[in-house]
Amino acid sequence: MMRRVLYGVAILAVLFGLWGIYDRAAFGHHNAAYGSYVVWGLWVALYLFFNGIATGTFVFATLEYLFRVPIFARTGRLSLFLALITLGAGLLHIWLDLGRPERIWKAYLQPNFNSVMAQIVWGYTLFGLIILAMLAMSFRPQRYAGWLRILSAIGLFLALFLSGGVGALLGVQAARPFWHVGLFPVQFPFFSLASGAALLLLVYGLFDRAANEHRAQLLRTLAILTLVLQLIKLYFLWADYSQSLYGGMPQNVAPVQEVLFGRYWWAFWILQLFLGSLVPIVILLWPGLSTKPAWAALTGFLILVGFAAARANIVFPALAVSDLKQLIGAFHGARLQFHYFPSPMEWAVSIGISGLAGLAFLIAYDRLPITPKHVPEAPAR
Amino acid sequence: MTGSAGKVDLDRREVLAKLASAVFAGLVAPAVLGESAAPAEAATLPELPVLPPPQPEEDPLVRMMRDLQRALQKPVEQRRWVMVIDLCKCVGCHACTISCVVENKLPPGVVYRPVPEEELGTYPHVVRRFIPRPCMQCDRPPCVPVCPVNATWKRPDGIVVMDYEQCIGCRYCITACPYGARTFDFGDRYTKGTPGARPFLLGEEGAAVHETIPMFEYGQPRPRRDESSPIGNTRKCHFCLHRIERGLLPQCVVTCIGRATFFGDANDPESLVAELIARPNVMRLKEELGTEPKVYYLL
Repeated sequence: MMRRVLYGVAILAVLFGLWGIYDRAAFGHHNAAYGSYVVWGLWVALYLFFNGIATGTFVFATLEYLFRVPIFARTGRLSLFLALITLGAGLLHIWLDLGRPERIWKAYLQPNFNSVMAQIVWGYTLFGLIILAMLAMSFRPQRYAGWLRILSAIGLFLALFLSGGVGALLGVQAARPFWHVGLFPVQFPFFSLASGAALLLLVYGLFDRAANEHRAQLLRTLAILTLVLQLIKLYFLWADYSQSLYGGMPQNVAPVQEVLFGRYWWAFWILQLFLGSLVPIVILLWPGLSTKPAWAALTGFLILVGFAAARANIVFPALAVSDLKQLIGAFHGARLQFHYFPSPMEWAVSIGISGLAGLAFLIAYDRLPITPKHVPEAPAR
Repeated sequence: MTGSAGKVDLDRREVLAKLASAVFAGLVAPAVLGESAAPAEAATLPELPVLPPPQPEEDPLVRMMRDLQRALQKPVEQRRWVMVIDLCKCVGCHACTISCVVENKLPPGVVYRPVPEEELGTYPHVVRRFIPRPCMQCDRPPCVPVCPVNATWKRPDGIVVMDYEQCIGCRYCITACPYGARTFDFGDRYTKGTPGARPFLLGEEGAAVHETIPMFEYGQPRPRRDESSPIGNTRKCHFCLHRIERGLLPQCVVTCIGRATFFGDANDPESLVAELIARPNVMRLKEELGTEPKVYYLL
């Protein structure tokens, strides 16, 4: 029953997304709400979100293929597949966000490697190829054990580089004090790991419901990891915001106040903090609750919602607040606003891509041998 | 006007009128004839008008044109274009903003030179300050290194330019600019959604013709049709490079009713701008960022 509901939701999301994709293809950016001041919107935030999950789940795959952690045995293939589809979802978002998507080849043939963006374009491409190769090899793990280790090591380095690199993509911008903090390249890898753990909690909570000791231990391990990462995440958040508010520099304070007390305060307090952090922490600390599959899935889902809100609260405020405030009235136009909320077209595209990723996972889960039960036990050494 | 020696001197209006008609014909002809204009390179000097000799109370525009002509005799890498804006003279009329929009045929959402206004003090001791903000053409532009495909760079003469055919529209450079000087062309049109042709009313069909005839940024005619560049690209002020290369001052400089905007080659010690930026009451926006803007403000 639940599987049918999930299929139904995913299909509806894809159908809704088709309208958004058509609009994007036929009318370009005409029906997008971002403009020349708030130039990055929902799609960039979700690019950060999905790609963070991709690098995070990849790290969990290395726990089997590189570090041979027993509790994560036979989970690597599923983690790799999740990394692949979330990477695809993230890259699809950012590709559609480009003004000239047909020119993406220029980033490969005419790159400027001084640009962090060019570096991560190449990095994500290599990362995707490594995931594909490892996924193929995972069907013959004994034969390709050595290659799996090597590619895991390279991929792990790339995952750290890319998740930190996305932080640096924003962090190198001296024009945006809200981003220009040394914390960004440091905290993004932790965010990626936490969101990867959350997705695994969701998947192992919802699916693979055969009750067994291994599954219970896996959920317990993921729960502990998630709890620690949530606390680290909250510490980073507190450190970042409290320093800005204490320092009192207007260009640092204004975006933080926009997040905390602005028009979309609820995205921070309700989605990111309450639902995305505090409720999951309570569940994780409640004795025996986090190892129950339904509660584990709920925890994972809530954390992911919180992270999606967190990415938006990173991207939008830095652009929505300008210390050249007088620009607001200097020249009027719908695209020359410092206010942004995604348009229906933007929502449709994002819902469609998310639905497509979900549908891909459901079909693969049902039709392809990607789950732990399909992975043979490794021979005793 | 007859000079003391009996010769007829060209007055300022005659000079500008002759120059404008000649240049306009030259700019429009290639598009009308269907030819593509050559890129804005300074390989050959344009035919420049003969300006009157310097006079004590001459219009600053004439002096700046003389400075410009002198600079154009030099190799590109020996010029250093700067703009100076006298905040005491700017009256906030926004004529420079509009003339820039007209000159470069900027669509909705794109503005090169807005004039932010600031109100200072409390009633009855209130003053208003107007700060025209073109692109700063920084010597250390934060927008250049972030471009993933080298679609923007700083020319030897100091102007930071865009290659519309190279830009992929990622808008990373827009986030990098601390002055908000870059904007994005979303493909919007001012006449979109306006009433169609009606009796006694021009309507969208007629008015849209103006929006689609070419503009000449970077010396290339670009009619605004279908979804070709610069739609989907970042755009910015370029000191009217297409005019400079033809011996014309930037449109905002020419239009300013208060003679508040000056332009020239700072490497020329005889130029007006070199004289102005040597004054003590000079400042630049956000100097603490180390971008080294090439737009100076007189306080």
